[in-house]
Amino acid sequence: MKALWRARELSTVAILVVEVLFFTWYLWPEAGRSHPFFNFGNFLLIFKYSSIYGIAAIGAAIVIISGGIDLAPGAIIALTTVVTGYLFVEAGWPLWAGAGVGLVVGALAGLLASFLIVRVKLPPFIATLGVMGIWRGTAFIITEARFYDLSSKLPPNWSIAGLSVDWLGPIVMIVLAAVFQRLMTGYQWGRSICAVGGNETAALFSGVPVNWIKTSAYVLSGVLAAVSGVVLAVVQGQGKADLASGYELDIIASAVVGGASLVGGRGSVAGAVLGALIFGVLRNALPQIPGATFYDRLIVGVVVIGIVVMDQVLTRRSAAN
Amino acid sequence: MATLEFKDVHKSFGAVRALRGISFSVISGEAHAVVGENGAGKSTLLKILAGITRPDRGEVRLNDAPFDHASPREALAGGIGMVFQERLAFPNLTVAGNIFAGREITGTAGRLAERAMRTRTRALLDQLHLSIDPDMPMENASAAVAQLVQVARALAFDCRVLVLDEPTTSLTDAEVEHLFRILDDLKKRGVTLLFVSHRLPEVFRLCERITVLRDGAWAGTFDRGTTTPDAIVRAMVGREPPARVDRPAVDLSQPPILSVDKLARAPIFRDVSFEIRPGEIVGMFGLVGSGRTEILETLFGLARPTAGRIRVRGADVAFRSPREASRVGIALVPEDRQRLGLHFNLAIRHNIALPWASVRGLGPIHRARETKTADQMVRDLSIKAASTSAPPESLSGGNQQKVVAAKWLATDPSVLLLDEPTKGVDVGAKFEIHNLIRERAAAGMACLVVSSDLPEVLALADRILVVREGEIRGELAGSAATEEAVMRLATHEAVVPV
Repeated sequence: MKALWRARELSTVAILVVEVLFFTWYLWPEAGRSHPFFNFGNFLLIFKYSSIYGIAAIGAAIVIISGGIDLAPGAIIALTTVVTGYLFVEAGWPLWAGAGVGLVVGALAGLLASFLIVRVKLPPFIATLGVMGIWRGTAFIITEARFYDLSSKLPPNWSIAGLSVDWLGPIVMIVLAAVFQRLMTGYQWGRSICAVGGNETAALFSGVPVNWIKTSAYVLSGVLAAVSGVVLAVVQGQGKADLASGYELDIIASAVVGGASLVGGRGSVAGAVLGALIFGVLRNALPQIPGATFYDRLIVGVVVIGIVVMDQVLTRRSAAN
Repeated sequence: MATLEFKDVHKSFGAVRALRGISFSVISGEAHAVVGENGAGKSTLLKILAGITRPDRGEVRLNDAPFDHASPREALAGGIGMVFQERLAFPNLTVAGNIFAGREITGTAGRLAERAMRTRTRALLDQLHLSIDPDMPMENASAAVAQLVQVARALAFDCRVLVLDEPTTSLTDAEVEHLFRILDDLKKRGVTLLFVSHRLPEVFRLCERITVLRDGAWAGTFDRGTTTPDAIVRAMVGREPPARVDRPAVDLSQPPILSVDKLARAPIFRDVSFEIRPGEIVGMFGLVGSGRTEILETLFGLARPTAGRIRVRGADVAFRSPREASRVGIALVPEDRQRLGLHFNLAIRHNIALPWASVRGLGPIHRARETKTADQMVRDLSIKAASTSAPPESLSGGNQQKVVAAKWLATDPSVLLLDEPTKGVDVGAKFEIHNLIRERAAAGMACLVVSSDLPEVLALADRILVVREGEIRGELAGSAATEEAVMRLATHEAVVPV
């Protein structure tokens, strides 16, 4: 089983490598010019923007593995930028305190979703669809069509511990991915998430605290979306209610491309982050191809289907052997 | 003349050789039984007939033509009808909808010819002496009716060979008799029956010839007239069945581990009182719907009682979850291993370790201890698995059942509740599970075995509690109880003083 997981993540890495090699070849510059895609600055850029999706995708993967679905991350990201922006810009709080409240808001958002799912027993799709509307709406009510300009209050060329702020997202994403990968594979909590997603009734009969496990999945998804929101607010320099709209689907797609099964019980946190990077590379490289501008959404869609189909074919083949 | 012929059929799944050169033939118009322990290859044989899988080597011939179908639909069109053990029905459709699912009668532009299907359904149901409404939703059908609707479906497709896989598991005796009368009738009309079952009395009642499979190989085909159930069992297991084990008398001076006093869960059961001492095996017998499973679930914290008390080692307990119950040493081996017992997305090893680890919390997994615990259980219970890192999918039913038992035995409980511990497992696995229960009792566990298999209860239990309509109707000493006495209490007789 462990070998299987590992193989599944390896194949996601392989897809990413092939993708990078392809764009490196395709965008190879004329002699004497620097490569527009294969350079350190561009890779940092890809990491920086992918981390917004990738951090939230960690939470989405956990929820999906537990047998649920979370449609709220996009709205929670937006609300967090607004809350953090308001407290930092309007209320004059220090940034860390504003960000801290943003994370608490994310946790509460996840708590509301889990209450609706675990106690009221709504289907996760409906519960989080409603919750998505509530938090997006709250963000609009707070801002009243304004936005909070964090960049004006942040020092220019701001750096943390000698590193440019561009590194914030990538580092947070990698650290969180490592932590949650460990929690999912090496802790009974992660095993319980898989058990609940694979067979909830059998998990209950096996003494797994099912309600607690499900609650933890949605709360973590909320907190991780809020972390994405803080990163977005700092990187983008804005707190705005219509940020990150439609992100929830990209985030779910990242988790699925990374091996999460929508029927639950299977998937990987590291895979979800790799999935976010696969999309990040596409979003970065496609606009550089002349004439591809109008095709990029279409290509992204085809890639999602292609990767999941390939995965299923491979799984079926290995099961048949 | 042979209708259905198996010629040197081989099939492997990975390293597991499910069938190794099966050859036998089924004569047109006969009722032919296929028996064998779980893992003997019966399921694989059925899958080939149903068109779900194909043999690696060898050939299946139907009416002297090769039978090699790629899909269940083609197999059905080829004249083989299947009646499965599980209720493979669409609960949301009507009876008629189920019978014609996938091959609806249609009019112009694909419009469903509801009336034609209803009429045809009524005719089919009449043939089966089944007076139910074709428009009844399938979810309202009892297990017996669902089984017969599957037969009707096979007949609707004009099948010449009807394959029945353990069709009687969830039927009452009267329902079994009804089914068999219908099958006799079909046989007279020239339908060939292939009957797969663990229940030898039924096999002898219905079938003229009996083919025994053992470890994926053919172990003989017997004529009903010249063989005996004992001979069949010997061929199945390749050894004499162990005799009933005499157990030492339970020390009645010991205080009970579990005492239940006037427990009730309205409206399902009421006034349930009993005690179990260490080392004791108490059997609880009741027919389907008597409330026996609900009593176990309440003891295990899956539902709250509405009245009464449960005491463990003299202390009152009120569990809100199985987790709390398992903390004080209560374990429940549930009835439905597919739905309640197993995780098919986890390795066998992780399945076994799940309750054991869950009681310990959500912290780091001690892989070495986990593997040691699981491997120990696999050895103790002689679970036959190629690898404990594979999901339990690859195991036979009996071995899956042992994995479910292993899950809870690994927690080393002091009270072991077992719900239908040998349902759907073969004779060999049944003996092994019975011995396992006896061993654990001898080691001081208090065991409560709920079963609708009367010989099982009689063979195992020191005392037998009989449940009917949510109440305990009587208690009998295991050694003195007879099938008739227990059945009388379970069906109609007034309460007898203990």
